[in-house]
Amino acid sequence: MNISLNHYLLLSALLFAIGFFGVLLRKNTLVIYMCLELMLTASTLALVAFSRYNGTMDGNVFVFFILTVAAAEVAVGLAIIVALFRLRQTAQVDELNALKH
Amino acid sequence: MNAFIMPFLPELILLLGGLVIFVITLGDSLEKRARTAAITIALALLAASVLCFGQEAVLFDGAYRIDAFSQLLKLIISAGFLAIVILGGNLPDIRPAIKPEYHLFLTLSMTGLVMLVSCVDIITLVIALELSAFPLYFLVAMRREREGQRIQMESAIKYIMFGIAANGVMLFGFSYLYGLTGTTSLPEMMVKLQPVMHTPIAIVGLTLAFCGIFYKLAIFPFHFWTPDVYQGSSNETASLIASLPKVGGVAVLVRLASLASPDNTLIPILLSALAIVSMFYGNLIALAQKDLKRLLGFSGIAHAGYALVGFVAFNQAGFASALYYITGYMVMVIACFVVICRVSRDGSNVAISELAGLHRRSPLLALTLIVGLFALAGLPPFVGFMGKLGLLTTALARGHLALVIIAVLNAAIAIYYYLRVIREAVFGDDGGDQTPIVLDRSTQALCVLLIVAIIVLGVAPSPIINAISGSLAGLNLPLPPAAVY
Repeated sequence: MNISLNHYLLLSALLFAIGFFGVLLRKNTLVIYMCLELMLTASTLALVAFSRYNGTMDGNVFVFFILTVAAAEVAVGLAIIVALFRLRQTAQVDELNALKH
Repeated sequence: MNAFIMPFLPELILLLGGLVIFVITLGDSLEKRARTAAITIALALLAASVLCFGQEAVLFDGAYRIDAFSQLLKLIISAGFLAIVILGGNLPDIRPAIKPEYHLFLTLSMTGLVMLVSCVDIITLVIALELSAFPLYFLVAMRREREGQRIQMESAIKYIMFGIAANGVMLFGFSYLYGLTGTTSLPEMMVKLQPVMHTPIAIVGLTLAFCGIFYKLAIFPFHFWTPDVYQGSSNETASLIASLPKVGGVAVLVRLASLASPDNTLIPILLSALAIVSMFYGNLIALAQKDLKRLLGFSGIAHAGYALVGFVAFNQAGFASALYYITGYMVMVIACFVVICRVSRDGSNVAISELAGLHRRSPLLALTLIVGLFALAGLPPFVGFMGKLGLLTTALARGHLALVIIAVLNAAIAIYYYLRVIREAVFGDDGGDQTPIVLDRSTQALCVLLIVAIIVLGVAPSPIINAISGSLAGLNLPLPPAAVY
């Protein structure tokens, strides 16, 4: 079977969907965080595939920047999750309900 | 050499200032020095923005462009930054040990915003967007813990989760736009996107790309964080989040929206639907609020909806009126937040009932609050009125009558809750508490300047509207090759 651009795009859309619905449905902040990373991975996969089939390098360059941004995002996010856990002894989203008026 | 440095002076000042404050954070108990440094940076930034007004230059092979549009917005943003640093005062709700870090993150976030308005390539755009967002997540989490106030981490988690999700959606949209056009540069993308604009993948890509900006502006499907973050973050942080990122967001939205061809029908329909839902949602829920910051949060969603009305028209007049409106909104909302920061005792949140008798405790603050809220409500002669008028006339000129009627209806709903706050401040029962609020010189000057700005921008809007329209004319033009460094 020949693997074409569409296969990559399908996989990327699937990854994005898994990430997106995971963010909406899961309750643990760490699992939500993994799903967010999955969303970013989906766009990097699409970019690399497009870059290969377009014949330009811009997409590949963009991927490097996205990876760096994602790494910074993890650092910031995990710092806040750890601080939250120290304060409240929980990482479950449904127990974060102090902000309902 | 000098000609090279000159156009990038604002960015260089912020980077240098960030380094200076970073060195200050390494020492012990230097919070006073950090604040002085932040004020100096803000003043220098404002001076540099004035000095660099009208400069033109290009960096990174056309990915970063200094043009009339970016310089005008840098001027607006740096004025806002100065106001935010002054109203922050001594940061009463931040632990003393981390006050220097607060100023560091504030400066870094501002660096991101100032860079954001110059980006004409999606790579630099993403970097600048993240640079302006990450420090804000920390600023929210830095609020002091104490009895009855343990919400700051919760709101920081909500802020960052929604932020990254919106960012992921936006990147996914960008990947499709790149796939269609084979370029990451916005001006080239605009040319290559025109022939394929009717295809579903182009519309999906562009819509997803808008999502990241909708999050910054707090427009309907990405608004959930707004009231919680306003309530959970300290008053100074909330005043920052409420004002400056929205100016940056509208600026980016202008750059992105010019990608879509004006005769496209689907995207204006989508934008008007989002504008309508944002306006109704924000205004109706704001009616029931008791916490002043939460009320401003919901009203912020509604105001983002108004600004989106300008984009529905999809022409230069519409973009100009949206930019004018958001500039006015920045001034109005900062005026309201100055009052919140000064009325608040030791930095806690302010309930609307705590405003009672404000005109006896501090006439200047009461006047600032009244002018700010009247302007937000859209009463003449303030800037809120002229802004709404501009937005509605441009939308009407393109035949969006239903949208205009709904926006006017919403403005009427909004007047009710703004006037409720003013009634509480002027006629409310203060329970005998008449301790005057002492304002320092800089706060007094800030209050007067904000009042003057709200009135002058509203009475004589033509200079700034002309400046904005003029700068929009050169937007996303192909690069002059000689200017590339």
